[in-house]
Amino acid sequence: MLKHALLALPLLAAGPLALADNGKEPIDVLQELLDNNKDSKYLWQSEQNVMMMPDSPAYWVAEEGAELFHTPRGPNNVSMEECDFGKGPGVLEGAYAEMPRYFEDTGKVMDLETRIVHCQVNVQGFASDDPTVKQRHGSSSDHMRLQTYIASKSNGYEWNPPLDHPLEKAFRDAGQVLFYRRAGATDFGCQSCHIDEGKQIRASVLPSVKNPQEWTKAVSWPAIRVGQDNVRSTFHRIRGCVYQMRHAGILGGSDAAIAISSFWTDQARGNPAVLPDMKR
Amino acid sequence: MYKSIDQSGKLRTIAGIGILAAALATASSVNADEAVDYTKMTPEEAAEYMIFESGSFNLSQEMQEGGTGRERMVQDDLQKACSVIGGGKPDADTLAEISKAARESIEYPEGGIKLGDWQKGYELAWSGFGFRVGHNFDNHETREPGGNCYNCHKLAPQREIASGTIGPRLTGFAKDRGTDEATVKYVYEMIYNPHAYFPCTYMPRFGYKKLLTQEQISHLMAYILDPESPVNQ
Repeated sequence: MLKHALLALPLLAAGPLALADNGKEPIDVLQELLDNNKDSKYLWQSEQNVMMMPDSPAYWVAEEGAELFHTPRGPNNVSMEECDFGKGPGVLEGAYAEMPRYFEDTGKVMDLETRIVHCQVNVQGFASDDPTVKQRHGSSSDHMRLQTYIASKSNGYEWNPPLDHPLEKAFRDAGQVLFYRRAGATDFGCQSCHIDEGKQIRASVLPSVKNPQEWTKAVSWPAIRVGQDNVRSTFHRIRGCVYQMRHAGILGGSDAAIAISSFWTDQARGNPAVLPDMKR
Repeated sequence: MYKSIDQSGKLRTIAGIGILAAALATASSVNADEAVDYTKMTPEEAAEYMIFESGSFNLSQEMQEGGTGRERMVQDDLQKACSVIGGGKPDADTLAEISKAARESIEYPEGGIKLGDWQKGYELAWSGFGFRVGHNFDNHETREPGGNCYNCHKLAPQREIASGTIGPRLTGFAKDRGTDEATVKYVYEMIYNPHAYFPCTYMPRFGYKKLLTQEQISHLMAYILDPESPVNQ
């Protein structure tokens, strides 16, 4: 009993398990953004969240993801170390910061969601309707645990999704059109809320797509949504925006969702990711 | 599938994008199994394909106003003209056309514009319920849709913190501007179709798109204009 507790001590002393090799914590990355952008209402809107970040519940979700990732699973009994997230099988350092990207093996531009699913189904051999594949939302889903872990290995890395392949550029450019496309019952587009700096929807200050130092935090998903008590994905945020915009419902893993995330990551290019982040 | 109906109900096209979309609509029956090549499309074509052909959206879901998700995603002329890459506005001539068409679209209530009950107006201004679909459909049969005004505007001082700044502050509106006939008409027209005054505004067309009924508009107008309303205290 005591031996077990003693063995656990170094783990606790080291802080969150699932950090990137650069040794940074998300709060370190955010603090630098805060220090360099004293006038940003968006970045400075929640002192409480900044205080809570070192103890973010998202770290536990990432640790659960680490365990899932490195454990042989599925009918093929292999771990996700066999999977390529863009920088070679098993390489996670900075991989998420370079997504979405084109993958030769599928001939598609893929985001983290679709790439995890691809790995589970094609490498580990899970059926696509297996809960471990199908359940995409919630901190207790395998999917979000995996997303949070994989993303945490890109904390502090600069967003740098490749645009070398013509399909990558096509997705990014289509995403730009979608971002500025006004539609739906209320004539909203992403631009309706995300062009001007310092604007609020109700009590929430919005990030401006024109301000890369704000936008880099804005696109930092997975993030613990404090008000929802769950770690949420990039797609979950996109779905929420499309929903509030009174457009038709958008689907996870879809071309439009990937295109939007391709454009919005491109707009944060060169700025550091905060992963996992904490949001309202 | 393709609509190009402008504010006054006449068929129009603006800037050639309308022509492109029409061509796309008639050529559209792409086999779902065929691999689509986005690299052969312009970004606009790729975006339209993603929306209408790629299965990215739930287009067959029934909407509260009738029709399906597909209709929500088809742009009318105003939406197309106001969708400028980079977030700017179209040229002055286009803006003037939009403003004129918006003005012509305005229908006034039978018996003239009247102020309703500001307390009901408060509920409607505060409520963000309505017209959302997808994964969590807003059921209008069990709850009344609101105007969601507080999303973008500051109104009553009591709601100062939790009210938005995307639109101008409306606190003290009637105190500052009075409630003469011209002001009352202005408020009505802004709610009905704000593009009459601010072409390509981000504010929705509450009357024209039937997001609010005439009765609801009258309550919201009271909330803004009634001297007794907390907005004007």
